[in-house]
Amino acid sequence: MHIPDGFIPIAQCLVYYVILIVALYFSVKWARSNLDEKRIPLLAVLAAGIFAIMSMNMPIPFGTSGHMVGGALVAIVFLAPEAAVLVFTVVLLIQALIFGDGGITALGANVLNMAIIGGSVGLFTFKGLNGAIGKYPAAGIAAWLATVVAAFACAIEMAIAGTFPMNIGIPSMILYHVFIGIIEAVLTVIVLVALDKFRPDLLAWNKGDA
Amino acid sequence: MPDITQIVRFDDLASKDSPIHNLEGRIKLISTIFIILVCVVSKELFIPIILEIFLLIILKRAKLSYIDSFKRLLMLLPFGGAIIIFQPFIQPGNIIWSYSWLHVTDVGLNWAILLLVRMIVSLTAIIIYSSTTPLQEMASSFRKLKMPRDLAMILSIMVRFLFLFVDELAAIRKSQKSRNFSIHSKNTPYKWRVKQVGYTIGMMFLKAYEQGERVHKSMVSRGFSDASEMFDEKKSPEKSDYAYLVTIIIIVIILEIIIFNYSGQLGYFGQNFAIN
Repeated sequence: MHIPDGFIPIAQCLVYYVILIVALYFSVKWARSNLDEKRIPLLAVLAAGIFAIMSMNMPIPFGTSGHMVGGALVAIVFLAPEAAVLVFTVVLLIQALIFGDGGITALGANVLNMAIIGGSVGLFTFKGLNGAIGKYPAAGIAAWLATVVAAFACAIEMAIAGTFPMNIGIPSMILYHVFIGIIEAVLTVIVLVALDKFRPDLLAWNKGDA
Repeated sequence: MPDITQIVRFDDLASKDSPIHNLEGRIKLISTIFIILVCVVSKELFIPIILEIFLLIILKRAKLSYIDSFKRLLMLLPFGGAIIIFQPFIQPGNIIWSYSWLHVTDVGLNWAILLLVRMIVSLTAIIIYSSTTPLQEMASSFRKLKMPRDLAMILSIMVRFLFLFVDELAAIRKSQKSRNFSIHSKNTPYKWRVKQVGYTIGMMFLKAYEQGERVHKSMVSRGFSDASEMFDEKKSPEKSDYAYLVTIIIIVIILEIIIFNYSGQLGYFGQNFAIN
């Protein structure tokens, strides 16, 4: 889902960068008031961990393989999409600069899909379903939906860019991520179960915010 | 996503000595981004192709292996490549080849070539940048270029801990392998394998979080507070650094002038292939 350089015209890239800057402004503000001075080391080391997590490839039935992104996971752990925005901005920046995975000019669009949209969809789906079906099923559906909606957003951006028409882009991106999303969902739930078992104090939902 | 353990190798490469390695960090970052920007806005093949030739010369000057760099490039093509491959078949234009319901159009084919060339040049620029710039230097370049403090600090600390997690990941993989665990092994139920990966990821997440807390405590015990700033060595770019950047800018200006005045004479390479 990492859009490379050259696929989105520069004017549109600028729009996504403006969105990124606004999102970063609010995220830094959120981190200052919610994580106080601990925010910098905590988010930094977490970003390094997420980087490692993203490189664990998992085979999926039907012959492909995928890896976890973790946008929904970070948003649910902190109960704030802002945390996902901060973590993924640095992760995607380094990925673009070191591996060339995702473009520099497309960074705004990539953060928008995976962190802003992925994190928000994940968190709000989780919050919406939490009361009705319990936190783990809610987290699973949230992570799945976050992946699918992020892919949908990616397909729409490519369509606006004229690179991939909607009638082909949307079905193919969504179909693929419907499966990738299952892995994201299962892994998100396992991680949350493990966190709740070993360090329940880390989860914001145990602090009575949910 | 490419294998993260490669990062150690890239950082080794980046610590070598060559005229390109020795350029100032900000100059390298700006020139890389500048070349990518020029490529992204190029509608003709001419400019990206000349820039690629320039980058191949730089690659040689940086004493990097063509074969290794080419291998890295190939590994990065899949996602973009998948989208490029569709282009000749889905973009409207004059049909130049068809087989039953399958049509290839000239517009689509040329657009696909343009996208591929843009992508290759951008990736070459990135490969040169990441093979000549250690991670710490990247982070400090962003700091010096006035990235907002919180983000710059997160980036700098993250870069330090990446290597720790690379080791951590390698250790986990080694211990799993020594117990004959393989994610791809069909001898164990799929559900069980997913669970193991889930536990590993949970463990990594937990380790990252707890390490983050420890780092915070150790930073505080050394006097870190919200008012702390990161130390940056005062090193301004030298004349040779500016010369490198100015050379690139002059090349681009000359190329733009050629395209503006003589695009008709350049034949295929001077045609506008962009569809957006």
